[in-house]
Amino acid sequence: MIKCPSCQKKHPPNTLFCDECGAYLAAEADKRTDPLAVSEVDWMEEQDIAAVPPSPSPDKSTALKLTIRDSGRLVEFPLTKEINIGRLDAASATFPDVDLTVDGGLEKGVSRRHARITRQGEELFIEDLGSVNGTFLNGKRLTPYLPHPLQSGDEIRLGTMVLRVNVV
Amino acid sequence: MRVMTTETDYYAVLGVSQSATAQEIKKAYRTLVQRFHPDAVQEDATVSEQFYRVQEAYEVLGDPEKRAEYDRQLGKDELAGEPAIDLQVTLSHRSLSCLDEDQVFYALMEITPSPHVEVRRLPLNLCLVLDRSTSMQGLRLQRVKEATHYIIDYLDDEDILSLVTFSDRAEVVLSGQHLQDRVRVKAQVSAIRSSGGTEIFQGLQSGLIELERVRSPDMVNHLILLTDGQTYGDEEKCLLAADRASRNQIGISTMGIGQDWNDKLLDEIALRSGGTSAYIDSAAKVTSFFRDRIHSLVNVFARELRYTLDLGEEVRLKDSFLVSPYIARLQEREGGFHLGQLSSDAPTVVLLECIISPKLPGRHRLFQLELVGDVPMLGRQSERVKREVEVRFAPTRELEETVPPRIVSALGKLAIFRMQEKTMSELERGQVEQASQRLETMATRLLNIGELELAKAALLEAGRLARSGHLSPEGRKKIRYGTRSLSLLPKEVSGD
Repeated sequence: MIKCPSCQKKHPPNTLFCDECGAYLAAEADKRTDPLAVSEVDWMEEQDIAAVPPSPSPDKSTALKLTIRDSGRLVEFPLTKEINIGRLDAASATFPDVDLTVDGGLEKGVSRRHARITRQGEELFIEDLGSVNGTFLNGKRLTPYLPHPLQSGDEIRLGTMVLRVNVV
Repeated sequence: MRVMTTETDYYAVLGVSQSATAQEIKKAYRTLVQRFHPDAVQEDATVSEQFYRVQEAYEVLGDPEKRAEYDRQLGKDELAGEPAIDLQVTLSHRSLSCLDEDQVFYALMEITPSPHVEVRRLPLNLCLVLDRSTSMQGLRLQRVKEATHYIIDYLDDEDILSLVTFSDRAEVVLSGQHLQDRVRVKAQVSAIRSSGGTEIFQGLQSGLIELERVRSPDMVNHLILLTDGQTYGDEEKCLLAADRASRNQIGISTMGIGQDWNDKLLDEIALRSGGTSAYIDSAAKVTSFFRDRIHSLVNVFARELRYTLDLGEEVRLKDSFLVSPYIARLQEREGGFHLGQLSSDAPTVVLLECIISPKLPGRHRLFQLELVGDVPMLGRQSERVKREVEVRFAPTRELEETVPPRIVSALGKLAIFRMQEKTMSELERGQVEQASQRLETMATRLLNIGELELAKAALLEAGRLARSGHLSPEGRKKIRYGTRSLSLLPKEVSGD
């Protein structure tokens, strides 16, 4: 039996997707950059719910908006999850939350697993996931795998692609 | 020159292959002519006969036009025994490991017209059944009229069109006929006025009568029903009409516009008759829906397509889904799993999810697949294609092999479709909280694959559900029909 990392449901070996929560199950063993393993804490069996940290109170910041400068596309995410940024690639089981393929990510040097945004308490962090062309925060290159505080109004650059951060 | 037949193989006479260039043919001809020329050899009956055969062969193969015609003829003769339907089966794993527990494997069936068949368009026997109830007034009816005008222009002279409008009763606006005076027919469409309630059965019944009058097995007989409202009290009659249509090989495609119509009824009518159902969320899209439907109708290649599975020892079928042209759960009915029509411009794709019990090393039979369908343009009934599918069991766990991306991509879409199914059944059981959470997770999955609009709809409805305990009728339809038509087109796959 294999266990869904996201909702803990058990499946026979070789199952590719969890039919309970839709998580991709074949991404196993692929270190910490695995996009689906940690991100889906909002879907759990009832007995596990107590272990989930309480969701932020509504008067605090709850959503993250990313504006992709060149394409003008705006993506919005609730801040309850970690947000993976990269390019979708089914063959290597990369399903980022923000897929920059449509914005010309490949040409602009965005890796499939490029960066992720996480929340710890009230603070947001951005972390480069060992991308080929690097993640830049307000012009400064980040050390791979070292989370760096992120604030509303910051500018992120992935390769040559620029994203504007807005916390609402 | 004799009447050209394919009894003589001209290529063999000249000793060249079918792919030989004009140059090679010329060269072969020259050599043979020199060898068999009556002047060069002694007068001999067989040699002289040979000389004329070479001449005859070269007359055809030496002329590009005649050669092309000859090749076509040759192709047709060879095709007589060839299957008209092409079936490709891809397994998720080329080999499985011997485990001491049950394991899953997936099989993708891709069905297309055989490349040898020259596809031609079948004439249509089409009936449009249009709702003209009061609620259609204004923009909706206007757009439906425009869409109908489009169809009138699109149809060929050999096609037959009939036109029925309905409210609480039905009127035949145009009785089934070849279109001669298109301007006049368009004027009749423009003159349609809205009034009254919605009784779908009235329209359906009149439409079917029109189609049955001119119905022929050499045509695509189809009814397109468009409505914007609930029908009251005649659901059962509608379903019986759909069954009758199916027996008469008439497909019914249903389209609901706005948010007040009964999606379950329209889905069931389409399912029973082998048609499709669709949700049109805004009046502006009516024409594009009509256009897509009519294009797929003129591209019908095979119909009554179905398959049966003969499972190997200790192999169980867990689920079977249609993944293209749209997503649907397939259920076994009389005659197997029904797939409806095969279009010549888009493959029909099915995904099987099976469980297999522990096996000893070696080759094991997984299943035998038999595909049956009618190919009207070749006049073939119950065309059959069979495939025996096996897999090798390796004694130890071998190197992880990658599952073909086509299968991963199809399963990714299916995973979302299944979440939608679960959400809806949870709602029916009143498990609101679970359904809301599931919708939220589904929104994330949709974002992952770049379906932004649908993700937004799912997120919105998750919130609404958590607050009010209900989905909006519009959101419900958006999610149901949206997850069903998640496209199969693979995303860009490339390295960093």
